[in-house]
Amino acid sequence: MVTTKIIFLTVFGLAAIWFGWRVFRTSSMVRSALSLLTCLTILGLIFFVMQAEFLAVLQVMMMATEMSIMAIFMMMFMMDPGGMSGMDMTHQKNLSITLGTIAGILVIFAIGFADWGEIVVAVSDAEQQNRDLGMEVMKRSMMIFETAGTSILVAMIVAAATALPFKNKKK
Amino acid sequence: MIWIITIIVFLSSLYGIAVLERWSIYREWDFGYPIKVFSGIFVQEDIKPRKHDPTFFETAPILFIAAAFLAIGVLPFAAGVVPAGIATGALFVNAALAYIMVALLMAGWAPNGVYAMVGGWRFLGQLIAYSMPIVMTITATVMRAESMDMLKIVVSQAGLWNIIYQPVGFVLFYLAAMALAFLPPFDLPQAGSELAGGVFAEYTGKRLLLFRLGRLVLIFSLSLAITNFYLGGWQGPLLPGFVWTFIKTMLVAASLFWAGSFTPRIRHDHTLEWSWKYATPAALLNILWVGILLLL
Repeated sequence: MVTTKIIFLTVFGLAAIWFGWRVFRTSSMVRSALSLLTCLTILGLIFFVMQAEFLAVLQVMMMATEMSIMAIFMMMFMMDPGGMSGMDMTHQKNLSITLGTIAGILVIFAIGFADWGEIVVAVSDAEQQNRDLGMEVMKRSMMIFETAGTSILVAMIVAAATALPFKNKKK
Repeated sequence: MIWIITIIVFLSSLYGIAVLERWSIYREWDFGYPIKVFSGIFVQEDIKPRKHDPTFFETAPILFIAAAFLAIGVLPFAAGVVPAGIATGALFVNAALAYIMVALLMAGWAPNGVYAMVGGWRFLGQLIAYSMPIVMTITATVMRAESMDMLKIVVSQAGLWNIIYQPVGFVLFYLAAMALAFLPPFDLPQAGSELAGGVFAEYTGKRLLLFRLGRLVLIFSLSLAITNFYLGGWQGPLLPGFVWTFIKTMLVAASLFWAGSFTPRIRHDHTLEWSWKYATPAALLNILWVGILLLL
């Protein structure tokens, strides 16, 4: 059972890396956004394999919406969204590559040398996990989530308010 | 045996919805219509536009129908009969439906055609706006059941259906379902008279068949979702659970077609405006309303 899980995790992990790589191999904003969506959806499947059901479904759901929103905004505001005019939309390449490599090495070190404690073989069922998560959110982490929730709500109201046609009402 | 009944319920509902769709457009009952259309499109020549995006062009129809089927996967057909019962079923319905948006974004982009692209972006704007009311109204039903398990959500309505308990949530979910299935008056992404079929304009043959079939499955999944979230699911007197699910689902599907046939097509900016300015705040108030009722 554990071997099967490791096989799935490896295949999904490699697929996620592949699609993550594809994001930077295209000039089309839609292809890029959908490659990123596939990469992140596969991460959701990895959570499924690790029996974190709520996290998995949430990841799969949120990424579909978020990447689509990203695609529509890139289409609206990028100068060459289809990637057909041959525009190079990258910049500061050497700096990006250097920083990316350093960050990657640091992450690998952190994963390799962190004390992860004992590996948990059996996890509680999904229903119990949902309950535990709910308790966590509504007790210890309530302030953090309430602050985040209120901030998002304010942002939504502000976005709707700025869309109102007040500026056209000249007195 | 249970699964054979489930498949029969599903297929007969799909057939019924296809007949209803025909009726909603031409106002005539043609019971041979689904078979005629199926065989007609099945043998139609597959025409691909020049310079299309092959990956998206092939993936879009399959993803569209797969997403609609995935949503059905977690919805109950009778007491204890769920194709795939998961503890986060209610959230999963929304997750599966989100990929309808991705499929139509692909379908709009892939053919490299103007009508399809306009239709695709319209649909994306529409569904981003209406996914908010969908997820918020589902949250309110989850609050009442104190679980995301679909079976528990249906059981929580044993005393009083959610349509009475949270009527605002029902209206919002119903309208958002119409927008999600781009049924009239929310059919701008397809807009036959203006965009010549919109997202489906450049598709022919088996790919078009997958889209047409996928839309029927989508309407079925949304009708089944409304039945389970708001109309007490399989619960009802005398008749078996399967029969109640079938009757309720078909009535919801018929009402979706019927309601749309009396309303003019809504302008795209108005569609978005109504969702962001009115439906989303109303969905938040619905959550507050259910919270107050639960605390009383």
